[in-house]
Order: sequence, then C-alpha cells, then structure tokens
Amino acid sequence: MLKAKTLFMASLPLLLMSSPLLANDTLKVGVQAPITGEYANEGQGIDQSVRLLAEQINANGGVMGKQIEVITCDDEGTAMKAAICAKELVNNEVKMVIGSYTSTCAEAAQPTYFKAGVLQTSDGTSDTLTQHGYWTFFRNSFPNSAEATFAADYIVTNKQYKRIAILSDFSSYADGLANEVEGAIKKLGGNIVAREKVKAGSQNFTPVLTQLKSKQPDVIFFAGYYSDGGLIRSQQVALGIKADFIGGDANDNVDFAKLAGTAAAGAYIINVPTPELLPYDLAKDFLAAYQAKYNMMPPSIWTILNVDGMRAFIHAMETNKSFDTKAAADYLHTLKDYPGITGPISFAEDGNRVGSGYMTYEIQADNSYKIVYKQ
Amino acid sequence: MKKKQILLYTAFFLIMALLPLVANSKWLAVGTTFLIFSVVALSQDIVLGKAGMFNMGQALFFGLGAYTTAILNAKFNWPLLATMPLAILVPALFGILLAGPIIHLRGDYLLVTTIGFNIVFVQVLQNNLGGITGGPNGIFGVESLSLPGLADSPQTSAFYLSLIVLLITFVLMHNLEKSKAGRALHYLREDDLAAGAIGINTRVYKIFSFGLGAGMAGMAGTIYANQYSAVSPEAFDFVQSVLFFSIVIVGGSSIPGILLGVFLMFVLPEIFRDFATWRYFIFGIAMIMTMILRPRGLWPASFGNIPKELIRGDQNGR
Amino acid sequence: MDIFLQQLVNGLTIGSMFALIALGYTMVYGVMKLINFAHGDLVAASAFVGLMIYTNVLGGSISLFSVIAVFLLTAVVIAIVGVLLERIAYRPLRSAPRLSAVVSALGASMVIQNGIMLLWGPQMRIFPDLLPQVYWEVGGVIISLIQVIIMLLSFILMTGLYFFIEKTKMGTAIRASSIDQDAARLMGINVDNIIVLIFIIGTSLGAVGGIFVGLYYRGITFNMGWQYGLYAFVAAIMGGIGNIPGAMIGGMLLGLFNAFIAGYVSSTWFYLYSPHCHPYCPTNRYSG
Repeated sequence: MLKAKTLFMASLPLLLMSSPLLANDTLKVGVQAPITGEYANEGQGIDQSVRLLAEQINANGGVMGKQIEVITCDDEGTAMKAAICAKELVNNEVKMVIGSYTSTCAEAAQPTYFKAGVLQTSDGTSDTLTQHGYWTFFRNSFPNSAEATFAADYIVTNKQYKRIAILSDFSSYADGLANEVEGAIKKLGGNIVAREKVKAGSQNFTPVLTQLKSKQPDVIFFAGYYSDGGLIRSQQVALGIKADFIGGDANDNVDFAKLAGTAAAGAYIINVPTPELLPYDLAKDFLAAYQAKYNMMPPSIWTILNVDGMRAFIHAMETNKSFDTKAAADYLHTLKDYPGITGPISFAEDGNRVGSGYMTYEIQADNSYKIVYKQ
Repeated sequence: MKKKQILLYTAFFLIMALLPLVANSKWLAVGTTFLIFSVVALSQDIVLGKAGMFNMGQALFFGLGAYTTAILNAKFNWPLLATMPLAILVPALFGILLAGPIIHLRGDYLLVTTIGFNIVFVQVLQNNLGGITGGPNGIFGVESLSLPGLADSPQTSAFYLSLIVLLITFVLMHNLEKSKAGRALHYLREDDLAAGAIGINTRVYKIFSFGLGAGMAGMAGTIYANQYSAVSPEAFDFVQSVLFFSIVIVGGSSIPGILLGVFLMFVLPEIFRDFATWRYFIFGIAMIMTMILRPRGLWPASFGNIPKELIRGDQNGR
Repeated sequence: MDIFLQQLVNGLTIGSMFALIALGYTMVYGVMKLINFAHGDLVAASAFVGLMIYTNVLGGSISLFSVIAVFLLTAVVIAIVGVLLERIAYRPLRSAPRLSAVVSALGASMVIQNGIMLLWGPQMRIFPDLLPQVYWEVGGVIISLIQVIIMLLSFILMTGLYFFIEKTKMGTAIRASSIDQDAARLMGINVDNIIVLIFIIGTSLGAVGGIFVGLYYRGITFNMGWQYGLYAFVAAIMGGIGNIPGAMIGGMLLGLFNAFIAGYVSSTWFYLYSPHCHPYCPTNRYSG
C-alpha cells in the first residue's frame, strides 16, 4: 500500500516534467478552432487550410529562414474550452493564433492573447470583438453591422417584405447580428412582427416556428449557425410556413443544404462571396491546392478568410524583418490593399477589416448557389 | 492521523510546492487544473462519500463560486481574493437552501433531483439571468492574480494559490474526520435510521454536509475563474457533475484515491495527447471494471480503528 | 385554434419518441432498480447504426423494403448490444451496492457515447430521407408522413407491449419479477432470463426511437443521447418509474408540455422551464 502511494506521489512530478523540450527555432502558429462539436466541419476546414498554407510557405524556405510549426487546439465551439485553449497556446509560445470560427470563442480567448502579446485573427463577425481596444486582434471578415445594413436594405428596400420575423440563437454573434438587423430594418421603416430566440443544437424548433406561423411572416431572417439553420428551414417548410428564409452569414456552409434536404431550394443566404466565386488568381491557386491535398473544397468562405488573416500576419513580419508581434501589429494597423485570397486586405485602426462585399444567394435545387442581389 | 500518512502528505505538498522550479508554464497549467479539480472532487466526497448522499449536482456549486468571482471581479472590479469569501458563502447558502426540501429523498431520487438542479442552473446562466451572467458566452476577462514576487509569471501565482486552497481543503477534511460532525456523517452513511435512533439529528447533518461541500466547491470556483480568466455555462454542466461523482466512487472516497481519479481523468490526457480523444472511452471502461473488481473503489477509505475481524463483507455506502 | 392543434400534433410526435425511449428506462428500473444511464446513448447509437445499415448494407437504395430492413436490423443490432451491456456491466453487480451499479451504468454510457464518436467521428452526420417528404393539410394543421408513421408505429408498439405485459405468461413473469425478485424465483421464474428479455425489448424500442430521431430531425450527433435520454428519463419518472403505461403517458405529456410551453410562452424563457428533470415532478417526492 505504502509503495503504491509513494510511487504515485513520486511519479506525478516526473510525468509532468517529461514534456519534450522543443528547440525554439520554429515559428509557432496556433490554430484555435472547433475541430469537434457542432461546428467541426468549419474548424477542420480552418485547421486544414492553415496547415496547407504553412506547408506552402515551408516549402519556399519558411519565414525568414524559420519553418512554421502549426499547433492546433480544439475549442469545441464553447467559450470555456476557448479560454483553456488560449492559455494552452500561449504556454506553447505561439506568435500568432488563427481562429476561432465563432465570435464567442474568439472573444473568450482575446484577453489572454492580448496579455501575452500574441497576434490573433478570427472570422468572427460580432461587433464587440473589435471594441475592447486589444491591439493583438485582427478581424479577417467584415463586422455584423455591415452585414445588417446590407440585409436590411435587401429585406426592406429590395424585396419589400411586409411582415418580417427575426430568429437567432443565444450566442453573442447571432444575438448581436439579429439585433443589428432589427435596428437597421426599423431605421428603414420595416415592419417586424416577431423576434424569437432558439437554443443552438436543440434540434426541435417546431414549437417556436408554429408560434411564428400565427404571426404570418412573409420572411424569416435567421441569424445563427448552419447546423441550426438547415433544420429550421426544413421544419419551416414542413410546417407549411410560406415565408421566405434568409440565413445570415454563418448559414453559408455545405451542410446547410444537407440538413434542410429538399427544403433547401429557395432559401436565401447573405454572405460575402463563396470560395468558388472569388475572382482572384491567388484564390484559384489556393483552392486548387486545397482540392489536391484534401480532395474536397473548403467548407465555406470562413476557412479562406482565416488563411488571409495568417497571410497578412506573415507578410507583416517579413516586411518588418522581425518576429516582434507589436511591430507587426503597428504595421498591420496601417496595412492597405495587401493582395489577399479574398480580395485586397486593409485593416482599420481598431483591427477591423476594411471594406465589404455582401451578396444574397439563392440555393438552387441542385444545392448550388445563385447570386440574386449584390451591393 | 498516522505518522506515515503525515509524512506522505508533507512529501506530496513539498513536491508540488517545488514543481514551479522545474516545470514550464504549460505544465504548471496542467498542475493547476489538477489542483482545482482535486478540490472539487474532495468537496463532492463530503456529500457523497462521507455522508452517503447521491448528489450528482456538484458542478452547480462549483459554478456558483466561479460565477460569483467572475461577476464581482470582471463587472464590479473587486480584487480577486476579496471575492473568495463570497464565492464560498453564496454556494454554501444555496447548498443549504436547496438541500432543505430534498434532503429526505433517498438514493436514486436524490440523484435525479440534484441532476435537475444542475440543469436548471445551467439554463438560468444561459438565459442571462438579471443580465449579469453573460448568457451562453459566460464572462471573460477575469483578472489573473499575481502573488507578491511572482508578478512576471501569473501561472506560478495561480498554481500556488490553488495549492494553498488544496491545503486548506486537506486540513478541513482532516478536521472533519476527527470531529463530532464527521462521526455523525459516518453513521449517517452507514445507516441513517440507526443514526437517527442513537440521537443524531440526521436532517441537520445532511444539510450541513451539503453546505460544507458547496462552500468548498465554491472556493475551487474562485481559483478556476482565476486560472482561465473566463467562466461559461457549459463548464458547469451536469456531465461535469457526473465526472466528479464517478471520480469519488472509483477513487474509493479516500484522499489518495480521489487524487488518483482526478489525475487519471484530467492530467493523463494532457500527457498523452493521442489519448485525449480516447479518454472518456477508457475512463468509462475503467469505471465498469473498477466497480466489478473493486466495488469499494480503487483506494477505499478507512474510518477510525475498527479491528479487521469485525468488518463483515463489503460495507460500501448504500 | 389551428395553432393549438398544430402544437398538439407536434407535441404528440415528439411525445411518442420520448415514450418509446422512456419504456427502456422504466422496464429496467422496474425489475433491476437500476437507472440505466446508457439507454440514451444506445438510442443515439441506433441512429448511427441505422445510417450505417442504410449506406453500407443496403447500398443507399430507398424502398419500402429498405425502410423496414433499417428498422429491423437496427433493432436487432442494438438489442444485441443491450444484452451484452447487461451481461458485462450490470450482471456482475447484481448483488453489489446500489452505488456500484450506478457508476457502472455511467461508465457504460461514456463508453457507448465515445464509442460512437470513435467509430463515426465527432461531426454531425446527416440521416438519409428514408421516407418521402409528404405533407397533408387537415383543417389548417400540417401533418407530415414521417409524423404519421412515428405516431402510428409508436402506438402499435406500445399497445403491443401493453398487451404482452398484461396478458401473456411472460408478461406476468416480468411483472412478478419487478414486484419481488426472490418470490418470483421461488415461483419458478428464471429472473436472469427475464432481465435479458427486458433488455431486448427496452433497447429495441429505444432503437426504433433513435431511428425516429434521425428521420425527424435529420442531423445526428454522437452526444445527442444525453438529451433524449434525459427527456425520456423524466418521462419515466413522471409516469412513476417502473410503471409501463405510466412511462407511455409520461412521454406524451412531456412532449405536449414541450410543444405548448414553447408555443405560448416566449421561446426565450422556455428553456428555463424546460422540464428536463424538474425537481418537483409529482412522483419522485415521496418514494424511495
């Protein structure tokens, strides 16, 4: 008994110390993404594309002679795991972190990266992400407010819907987007008949939808993620609610149509261009490389936006000829029109990406996208 | 406490105290996690192992403590350590209030009820009650404490703070075992009818154990909020409660057994990265195997000095 | 009014699923006095097994035959898993303290849930549309073919089970074992066999419930078992755990409760009241 006890006590620190001491001659890049969980598809896309980019850069001699080492932490799409990941990546001495996919996870991790001086880039569109004054954070997508203006314009001015219903889940991104859209619609004089919330991942949305049905909306705007959006669309059609469905940007994922089944056709999604629609040569090359390596297309535009964030970071370090993150951030804050896969990259003083190009897609019967409205 | 035990615990704390000298911050973070979850598992042991009540909602009290600290620190700018007394008191009070009406339930029914409490708690957090829990996102930006002289390494501070909290927990557990209350709980666990018959106020002691366990879990909540600078509802889901419950039973409701359980569950997956995806699978098998092969747990607790020949069969808590 | 009726239909649909799953809990508890925490995960597993049988065994063809085959084969596979589960994780603990069996059940739940994850991956999988998407409108209420089949099949299975339990010799043996195992043994009932029988019935009903979940919601994840397990578990408790008709009624009530509370109270606050496991369910207060 005593032996076993002593053995256990003695082995604990030994095990703890047995961490391999890695030589510090690589540039460590962290990926914080939902590799598992509801948004696994997006997280794996981010991880795969960052690894692809690192491979391409390493094949060309790395960054100023240093090879890139990618360290991935799975945040499972939950805030708590994101906070834990942030600690872990900082402890692993990464210089930059790509991710996460959801605004909530990016926001939960932000303070830790800021305190450690680690650069972070995320596709999170929640406006609050850039309102904390963290110099370490750069948004590689466009904020909710930009999307809301576009969506409201489309809903009120273009389609002239008379009875608008807005749905969201409880997350900071979705709730934030829904509120922005609500505000923008009201500003244009639109008539909002319902504003409801659903619980992400709860699968059964019929009670809320049945309730909506009585308000007779002619359009349902859903700010939330594809894993719920697809089901909501399918259940909406099943309940015979004859309203149009407009999904916010996070519904843009190949799984949306799979979940919605036959109901997918006719649904609208608002987002920046999908990967296939990007006109740039850089985009075509990268997508071809992605297709060759993983034998699939990236799950959505978000994957590519994150790659652009990482490209900008590396560009900044190479221009400065230094791995110093503060210097890189100072450079990035004035970055203008650096050629990106998703178009020219410019950052504002608060870390927001400048410019936007939202579009409305209609999902066709064969699940392809057709552009129906452009800014 | 036997001399041997004192020696072992001293050695344990000495080794842990020296850990920051050799381990880098990554491993210190793992060590801190180990310490935090050890405290929670030990607090669960008071209700489940010591008093024999099937409480499967310990994460509620852990979360309550963590949220108290996070709200006071991040929203009202209290210094982190100043939040600790409230982070102990609030869960303890809740423990007493919740335990009051349900304490007469036995076995599976208490288990179901406490799961229910835990789920309602998480739902309340997600609904952003009173606009202060931050909804499903939780609360970010809790201050990282830096102890005097350790300003440059917040991880070392967090580690020592957790170690101190674990030490307090050990002292509490030890004193409890030696006290009147500890003996009362022990009788309760063995047979609460008989305990009542010999004059123990079972209701008071049951509520007492809930309150004490909740307060200790709340204390762990403070160091948890400090370690991760964030709290969010899913970290205090009832699945976490299930883990603590299992750790206590598999460990055999003794301090070394529980520490071993926490080590297996939370530290081993950090050491063997590939093991991480397999951990629940393996832990599940281990739970079944342990219960079949050692129904009293890996490291069964002993109480007092009962001569061996007087112990009949297994006397695991019913 | 048609909203009321619509919620009624929706509530009865999910209520049927809850009831089917709840039967597994309640039957096992009735005889073994054990909360089979692994039951919910077996339900999740059956959705995945159904998906695998459809794509790998039947080659992804949709016909009446393949629909029936998916249901039957999945029920058989899950029943075998259920019997193995009982043999490995529960039988050795039959005479052990209650707590040991509870922990063993929790362990089994973890093993099954993570087994699904290791086998099929952590992502959401899409369950195929085995049944055509047909809808009818009856007096303002929309009803889909899937809903009709879920309600009809559940009703048939539950009535069948009710008569089996009440009217047959084996059913009598099951009832006898749940009242007093020792006395049942004295009457010449092989309680071990009864327990195996109960696991076969309970898990195959759960398997049907799991396929319903896949058919109705389309997206299936490895950890969804907890959600359905909990609902069904509450349904079993509402009906008085161990009571078979009670579990059926409990499931229906919970389904209706779910639909109506969210239908008439703003959805934002519904989740606070969602009765996953309401602590003051009538039957769990005084027994035990």
